[in-house]
Amino acid sequence: MANLLVKDAEKWFRKEDGQPVKILNRLSFEAREGCVTVLVGPSGCGKSTLLNSIVGLEKLDRGELLFVKNGEQRQRPLIGYVFQSPRLLPWKTVGDNIRLALKGAAVDRSEWERRVERYLEMVGLGEYANQYPLYLSGGQRQRVGLARALAIESDLVLMDEPFASVDELTARQLRQTTRHLCEELHRTVLFVTHNLPEAAYMSDFVVTLTRRPASLQEYVANPLGSPREWGPEIYNFAADLENKVTLKEETVL
Amino acid sequence: MASFQNIQPAISSEQGAAAHLQEPPFAARRFGGEITARIVPPLLAFGSVFIIWLLLYLIFPRLLPGPVSTFSEAIRLLEDGTFFFHMIQSLRRVFVGATVAMIFSVAVGIYMGTVVAGERFFQPLVVVGLTIPGLMWALIAVMLFGINEIAPYFAVAVTIFPMLVINIWAGVKALDKELIDMSHVFHFSPWMKISQVIIPQLVPNIFAATRYGLGLAWKVVVVVEMFGTSNGVGYQVMKAYQVFNMEGVIAWTLTFVAAMIVIEYGIINYVERRLTAWRPKIDVWRR
Repeated sequence: MANLLVKDAEKWFRKEDGQPVKILNRLSFEAREGCVTVLVGPSGCGKSTLLNSIVGLEKLDRGELLFVKNGEQRQRPLIGYVFQSPRLLPWKTVGDNIRLALKGAAVDRSEWERRVERYLEMVGLGEYANQYPLYLSGGQRQRVGLARALAIESDLVLMDEPFASVDELTARQLRQTTRHLCEELHRTVLFVTHNLPEAAYMSDFVVTLTRRPASLQEYVANPLGSPREWGPEIYNFAADLENKVTLKEETVL
Repeated sequence: MASFQNIQPAISSEQGAAAHLQEPPFAARRFGGEITARIVPPLLAFGSVFIIWLLLYLIFPRLLPGPVSTFSEAIRLLEDGTFFFHMIQSLRRVFVGATVAMIFSVAVGIYMGTVVAGERFFQPLVVVGLTIPGLMWALIAVMLFGINEIAPYFAVAVTIFPMLVINIWAGVKALDKELIDMSHVFHFSPWMKISQVIIPQLVPNIFAATRYGLGLAWKVVVVVEMFGTSNGVGYQVMKAYQVFNMEGVIAWTLTFVAAMIVIEYGIINYVERRLTAWRPKIDVWRR
């Protein structure tokens, strides 16, 4: 069953000289409930624009975004978001950053402490609730961002290249934690990356996109089972994906 | 030819382990040393002013009052309570005027930084406002409102308003859009966006504006008090001037400056440190 249906999404931007540029071209796919759907496409093809449209930061020019739960269509629901940079409020402690997200999500106040503790424990930062973000490493901050997105317990979690700004070893640990949590918590995740081994490791389904304007190229089910380890089979599946997608930089129109 | 295996470490591994158990090098900077380093330079600065004043007094005894007699006058003002009564009057005027200016300037600064039409409307007014001297506002306020409390409030608020607006407007234009997008994604209410995301980013601008604004507000309030009120530090300075009591003028100035130092270091610095405790202290680039 789908949790998010993207139907014929179309988005235009205007360049500085006033010329219109098409970013999304009749893009359609679904993010299945309880699965990690990974969006893979060339840099600048419109992946982040799509995520921004899903959370309401941008508006599609044409097409629909349908949010479905238990077979029924819903208005835009609460959505967790892990950004490329952690986007934590540096003047708030780690715990307060999560509490503010819980407040925004209208979670009952009596529930806050339990969730802060639980999700910080899950990402391995149980001791850090009273620390300020600037005292943490980049990887730790990204873990806080992950805890914040999961703590609101939304139906859908978006992740926009969340590990692109950390070193490879930290990124591997974070992928492992994130994949494990998504499986354990059965969350619907839409994950954007242009790192093919990452896509192979994280995904249950992979949506490959064409160059700009982005439209659906392939919808691939990941043959690897769960739980999974970072090993040769990840690279083999990544090689399969490479044949299906062109990741070269888009020439600006 | 020496191989890498032949190169011995400068210290044995045991010595190395012992070295790790020692205190880190920066622990050598002791608490007492830190206090001395903070206090000695300003004391030297004040001491040098005192010595120059004393020398000038010894050279021109008829021109200047002596530092000792002036300090005695200042201590008398403090002891008999005159200073505190008049200082509180001046403080109240500055505080009320600055608060009114702050409320309006935060609102106008945020509006100018977020709405282009607002920027176009207020920018010329703010620039013109900056060019009008505080003394003119003091005169206008007394002529408009007469000798009452509204005049100093108005003069202070109107004088510092453009400067506060400029600072807050610049701060709003430099706001981190990513954090505002984050607050939208996580469904922050409008009040949460302003109080938790926007205002904290403006804190450095607000403090810079407050420091500069208060400096200006004191000058304006003293001028208004000189001819528009019957109490306050400015009124007392004027009274001393009218009987050519230079000791009195300087004693009032000194006590006034001392009060300003207490406000700057005791209150503003303290509040600023508390509000910016989230920033790691990095002094690497300073000597």
